[in-house]
Amino acid sequence: MYQQFRAERRQTRNQIRGPHSALTDFLASNNISAAQIHQNHQRRLRDFERQSAAERQGSSPDDSDDDEFQHVGESAEDRKKRKRKEAVALAKIKQSKEFARHKARRTGGPDDADDEIAREMMHQRSQPLPGQLENCEICGKRFTVTPYSKAGPQGGLLCSKCSKALADDEKKPKANRRGARSGRRQNQSNLLDGLAHQGALSLAEMCTKKVADNINDIEEFGDLPSQLLHRLSQILCKRRVLTPRTLNLFLRPDLDSIDIYDAARLETHDFEKIFALMPNLSHVNIRFAGQLKDKVIEYMLDRNLQVKRLQLDAANLVSDAYWQQLFQKLGPQLETLKLSNLDFSLDDETIEVMCLYCTPLRRLKLKQCWKAGNRSLQAISGLTSLEHLSLDYVQEIEIEILLSTISKISPRLQTLSLEGFSNADDRLLGIIHDNCRALTKLRFSDNAVCTDRGFVNLFTGWANPPLENVDLSSTRDVDNTNPDGPKDATGLASRGLVALMNHSGSKLQKLNIASCRHVSHSAFEEIFSAGTTYPNLKELDVSFHTVVDDYVVGRIFQCCPKLQKLVAFACFNLRDAQVPAGVALIGGLKAQDSIVLQGNY
Amino acid sequence: MSASKPSQSEYVTLVSGDGFEFVIPRSTACVSGTIRRMLEPSSRFSEAVTGRCVLENISGIVLEKVCEYFCYNEKNKNQTYVPDMDIPPELCLELLMAADYLDT
Repeated sequence: MYQQFRAERRQTRNQIRGPHSALTDFLASNNISAAQIHQNHQRRLRDFERQSAAERQGSSPDDSDDDEFQHVGESAEDRKKRKRKEAVALAKIKQSKEFARHKARRTGGPDDADDEIAREMMHQRSQPLPGQLENCEICGKRFTVTPYSKAGPQGGLLCSKCSKALADDEKKPKANRRGARSGRRQNQSNLLDGLAHQGALSLAEMCTKKVADNINDIEEFGDLPSQLLHRLSQILCKRRVLTPRTLNLFLRPDLDSIDIYDAARLETHDFEKIFALMPNLSHVNIRFAGQLKDKVIEYMLDRNLQVKRLQLDAANLVSDAYWQQLFQKLGPQLETLKLSNLDFSLDDETIEVMCLYCTPLRRLKLKQCWKAGNRSLQAISGLTSLEHLSLDYVQEIEIEILLSTISKISPRLQTLSLEGFSNADDRLLGIIHDNCRALTKLRFSDNAVCTDRGFVNLFTGWANPPLENVDLSSTRDVDNTNPDGPKDATGLASRGLVALMNHSGSKLQKLNIASCRHVSHSAFEEIFSAGTTYPNLKELDVSFHTVVDDYVVGRIFQCCPKLQKLVAFACFNLRDAQVPAGVALIGGLKAQDSIVLQGNY
Repeated sequence: MSASKPSQSEYVTLVSGDGFEFVIPRSTACVSGTIRRMLEPSSRFSEAVTGRCVLENISGIVLEKVCEYFCYNEKNKNQTYVPDMDIPPELCLELLMAADYLDT
């Protein structure tokens, strides 16, 4: 095309002409005449003006004018005629492809919107074509209609400026629609967290969330009370946005407690800053404290803080020497000590030092401390003030040492949590039965040795008052060649569970019996039989109980009026459970369907 | 008569520190523990007698939002998946303090 254009230019070079633009030249070369276009345009304008003048005179009422407000003077017959014509036109439009496209674009509208869409399209068809002149509906300016001209609120066309303003306005509601979709996802997420409560959130909770959303715009919290700071810290840590900058908001010298559930983004000097700026600290809870080093511990001890409750997680850059210094210095005042996920230090010797100095300790938790072994467990038996003990050892423990330690400290215990002592046998249950008189919380999980008979003996005729929180999950036989287990069941099975519910049912708030595979359907029927109620039970975990079906779950809902959360992963017989309002059923086979809410339970 | 039997009045008046008054149904206002205890007829507090609570430390703008929450809460009673109320970010800290004070 370009070459052809050059050739034609050459031919005309010798002619003498008046001023001539390159564009006219180019158009002429392609057989397009500017004068012709101008004439056509003028003709169209004239046609349009003649037509609109005719319309203004109202020459005939039944011509294709469809604005309803202009038909005031027409006769009944004419109106009928016009309506019929309109109906035919609408029907035609409804069958067209363009109509289907329009309809698809606005899904979600009610079905009776069909007429509306068709009518709109009919109006659009009668509008001026591109290239014509028109007055803007909003600003009244005369402008040239283009394919991009938008329709105004009354159906007329808009000039380019007003079209743009309208397009800008339309962008906003789109963003809202996306928000509504993610809300449904958020609801599912909440359900998995066990949040299915009814009604609105409390105003404080809603504001706390909003504050967390805008945490980067906040300069300081002012004198926000400590429990709200705690909640904010929880939310921020869950979202993993607790950074050195946001940490500063929490450091207030007047407060005596700090809870940081995710300190992974904090540096060594940030930890020092906590102890420098909060001289009154008595409660310290720092998790994922990867950069908490020896020098931070040294700094903290130099500050002579009156720390009474200390919880550190994953502080693997602290050496044994500094743990020992810490225990020596803080020992006499420490009431609570919780250490977890330590694989580099905290060996037997350090725990022995701890037990020597921290004699007033009332609450002790050691979870996943890789270097702790038999000697440390023996040392714990010397902590005579203990009321709450949670142990989760990584190393294999000699059963005799465990038995002697538990029998020494169990009479005062209110909490006993033993996880992963896989070789403990019925003798341990016997010791708990004989010694414990004040237990409210009992966890004994991941064990394949204790028998159902052992559990029956534990819960039968036990002088301990009813328990409030029981976790006996994963106590079962794990022999793959014998999936039904031995004849005398291993782990918590039917009779053990019945004995447990008889003993503790009246006070029980939380019960976890996940993976206790040998509980029978009839045992569940007996436990949750008509007329029985477990008035305080709020959370129940029956995961991996394949005998649990819709009937059993229905019974559970009837027998537990306060139930908020039922965890039922891998309960394959659970199909169409009717879930009462306010209860979160987690892990059903069809997550979407079980959200049907039924009242009156 | 209304002084002797304050529980009969269906509406209560909340007054902000800067003098704005909000008249709202008693039942919605009692979502707030603080206001409920103020209005408790047996307490013989002046608020209970007059049905008028003066909240000195809450500004009119914040109290308006609090009243909006009371109605929002009433509207969404016994419903699941309630969408969060729209809270302007610049107001959320003050509103949080007010919510804490009002025990809401």
